[in-house]
Amino acid sequence: MKTIIGLEIHAQLLTETKAFCACKIDVNAKPNTNICPVCTGQPGALPVLNEKVVEFAIMAGLAVNCEIHETSSFDRKNYFYPDLPKGYQITQYFHPIATNGYLNLESGKRVRIRRIHIEEDAGKMIHSSENITESKTSLIDFNRCGVPLIEIVTEPDMNKSEEAKEFMEKLRDILRTLDVCSGNMEEGALRCDANVSVIDDDGRSSSRVEVKNINSFRYVQYAIDYEIERISKVLRDGKDVKHETRGWDFVTRTTVSLRSKEEENDYRYFPEPDLPILKVSKSQIENIKLNLPELPDQKAERYMKAYNLAKDNANIISKDKIISSYFEKLVSLKIDPKDSSNWIVNDLIALFNADSIDFNADKVPIESLKTLIEYTNSGKISRLSAKEVLGEIYKSGRNPEDIIKERNLIQVSDKNSLVPAIKKVIENNQSVVEQYKKGKTSVVGFLVGNVMKETKGKADPKVVGELVKKILDGEIV
Amino acid sequence: MLSKLSVEELIEQIKLNKISAEEVTNHFVEKTALVDPKIKSCISTVFVKGGDGILKGIPFMVKDNMEVTGTKTTCASKILENYVSPYTAMAVQKLLDAGGVVIAKTNMDEFAMGASTEYSNFFTTKNPWDLQRVPGGSSGGSASAVASGMVPFALGSDTGGSIRQPASFCGIVGYKPTYGLVSRYGLVAFASSLDQIGPLTKNVRDAALIGNIIMGKDQKDSTTVEKQMNLLKEIEDPIEGFKLAIPKEFTKGLSDSVKNVLNDAIDNFKKMGVKVDEVSIPSLKYAVAVYYIIAPAEASSNLSRYDGIRYGLSFDGESVDDIYTKTKDEGFGREVKRRIMLGTFTLSATYYDAYFDKAQKVRAKIVHEIKQVFNSYDAIIGPTTPSVAFKIGQLSSPLEYYLQDIYTIPANLAGLPAISLPMGKVDGLPIGLQIMASRFEDEKLLRIGRNYEISRGKFPLPEVIL
Repeated sequence: MKTIIGLEIHAQLLTETKAFCACKIDVNAKPNTNICPVCTGQPGALPVLNEKVVEFAIMAGLAVNCEIHETSSFDRKNYFYPDLPKGYQITQYFHPIATNGYLNLESGKRVRIRRIHIEEDAGKMIHSSENITESKTSLIDFNRCGVPLIEIVTEPDMNKSEEAKEFMEKLRDILRTLDVCSGNMEEGALRCDANVSVIDDDGRSSSRVEVKNINSFRYVQYAIDYEIERISKVLRDGKDVKHETRGWDFVTRTTVSLRSKEEENDYRYFPEPDLPILKVSKSQIENIKLNLPELPDQKAERYMKAYNLAKDNANIISKDKIISSYFEKLVSLKIDPKDSSNWIVNDLIALFNADSIDFNADKVPIESLKTLIEYTNSGKISRLSAKEVLGEIYKSGRNPEDIIKERNLIQVSDKNSLVPAIKKVIENNQSVVEQYKKGKTSVVGFLVGNVMKETKGKADPKVVGELVKKILDGEIV
Repeated sequence: MLSKLSVEELIEQIKLNKISAEEVTNHFVEKTALVDPKIKSCISTVFVKGGDGILKGIPFMVKDNMEVTGTKTTCASKILENYVSPYTAMAVQKLLDAGGVVIAKTNMDEFAMGASTEYSNFFTTKNPWDLQRVPGGSSGGSASAVASGMVPFALGSDTGGSIRQPASFCGIVGYKPTYGLVSRYGLVAFASSLDQIGPLTKNVRDAALIGNIIMGKDQKDSTTVEKQMNLLKEIEDPIEGFKLAIPKEFTKGLSDSVKNVLNDAIDNFKKMGVKVDEVSIPSLKYAVAVYYIIAPAEASSNLSRYDGIRYGLSFDGESVDDIYTKTKDEGFGREVKRRIMLGTFTLSATYYDAYFDKAQKVRAKIVHEIKQVFNSYDAIIGPTTPSVAFKIGQLSSPLEYYLQDIYTIPANLAGLPAISLPMGKVDGLPIGLQIMASRFEDEKLLRIGRNYEISRGKFPLPEVIL
């Protein structure tokens, strides 16, 4: 059995104003406050293209290895829905701005990108019931209407749901690095529709099924897996798989039929007469290319080469530009790159992940982590204590030195002050000492543990171990 | 009598302190109150004053498909019967800024689809030359208002001849500027690639004067272009040595009476030392067919927004589809529905290539063939309409109406500037001469028109018997 997956992705662009009018984009604004004659489809209003949208689309196109077209054009996609005030969406149907790109997955597999085009978002609807047909009342907020989108269409090059998820995450990391999209799927800033079909072992191919409303990275995988299973079962039962559009329901974790092929709209695409042909010059494209930020893959490559980081660590750090800039600052403060990457990946990111929040450099100032790493490396505090301090910094934002002092975490490594405590432990554990003398050297650990208890964890366990041996061996009297 | 004066003459009277700007405005407001009940040019009378400028106190009317803040903009449709404009169209704003005063919104065929105002949802406007006849359309309200002296000028819109044909029927001047010269911002779209705003005036000089004010690149209309032009500057420079072309396709089948009037016009040009040749533009025979594919296609999309959700007529329904169906069924008239259906059909996936795409190709061919003519000629001339104004109710089939625009449509398809100005009378009714020039040669167009106008001599305005 073989599965074929293609994705259609919509990304909201982070421009200050809408695609075809001067209205502000602000997700927190009160409903219907950022609207004007253009984006509410008043009679006689005309669209004017926001140049920033073109720049962002070109950036995204270049970042995913697309060919950027010097000439592209806008078209109208006609359909009726209350959140679409003009009765048509302005899009690029016949001549998109970018085509023929690709992204490589970790496995080395290449997923080709067919096209990227510019279009506008619709308004947002709130229904009194489940959906518009069952609702007595529906409310429309036109603030989102006209927010610029790019639609990215892949070739059906993926064969596993994991690949689709990885593609989405990779794309998100790129768009975030470019600062053209927040990449937030839960908020709808990044949306994914998956086209899934299955070929069974007898070579019978199912129709293509489109799954919509996938609103998180996890669900990309779940929804596709569910759909593969559903289609396979229909094939196994010897039935025909309907060519249809289905919606992912994250509550039941199933897909439900939205409409069959026969119910699909005829969008009556035709060239948008209100907008001239979109022309961008070669030099404009070159200029954007020159100013592209370093992309996650390039960054990871550099980290592995320049700092000898492990691939996993390099990938994790480089995919988020806030994390990578944090890392680079730490390195610039003369902290060993490998140490820096270990602390960031193993300790710091774990804290944010535990709270399911985005990495935020303000929560643990770079200077604090630097101090903490230095204290640990010099043996002043133990790795365990350091972890505790990091947790406290993350929670309260307090200065690491204050926390160490307050909690009395400085390790005791001064021999003279440790010897009495060790002698006391040896005296209290004579039977263990006997075992040592019979050759069971492993009991040293037990004695060290007791010394640590005795010193309330402040002793440097390495130093204690050496001293315990020396005293038992009679080297210190 | 002030009502007979041109815009320029009125400006002169005010300048010489013979009359105040306020008195001028009031005169025309009163005149409208007297005459309009007979002619029925106006859908609503309004009073929107502008700033201080060359047009200070000069009243004008605006076709009811242009937005003027606070006024109803109905497009003569039930679906927008109570729609109040939240903003002002750029062309109107420029006239207001120049001091003009809007005193009425004028009748038209619903959404500018028609050639007589008979397709207005409200009433049919009458031709001031003969109240039994139509004023032409779709800008029939604006044309009849100027012809009957209610205002010295008015704005119309021209998608397939909607300024020029009523100008021809009413014996006045109607000027459609080059596509892209005047902002369409605030003009309710019928067919966006063809629509253009222009003035209806008593003479060519006024058309140039108003044209100068309303033209110009507008940030809010991406299809406008920056062009430095002064339509008045050289308007009376002689045109000796100019070459004009009359396409065979524009004279075939003309009645003898119209031919005679046209020949008089040709003689006038020849007397001015202008060469007039007959040419052939074979693809013109497809112009009407192409137009009736492209215009309804764009219209079907442009009119989608009237859905009863945000503004305008709205019916409650069982479902969204029910709201749409009831609203559109009740709100749109027969001709508008016909064109929406036609356009929806030609754009559908199955028929796009056979109709819309093919029409676009033929349109390109027409543009090309006309361009060839302009390589050798300064302008193309012919009658504006095949005949004079017809009687109200006289035409019965849509096709008869569609053929009204047979000579005017090519200028829209090719985005050319074109003007209609009176060239004579047939059976006591006026008929227009149409002149078309190359894109952005509006200066030359109006110069040819003005020279002809002088050679022809004064053309009378109709006397409306109250």
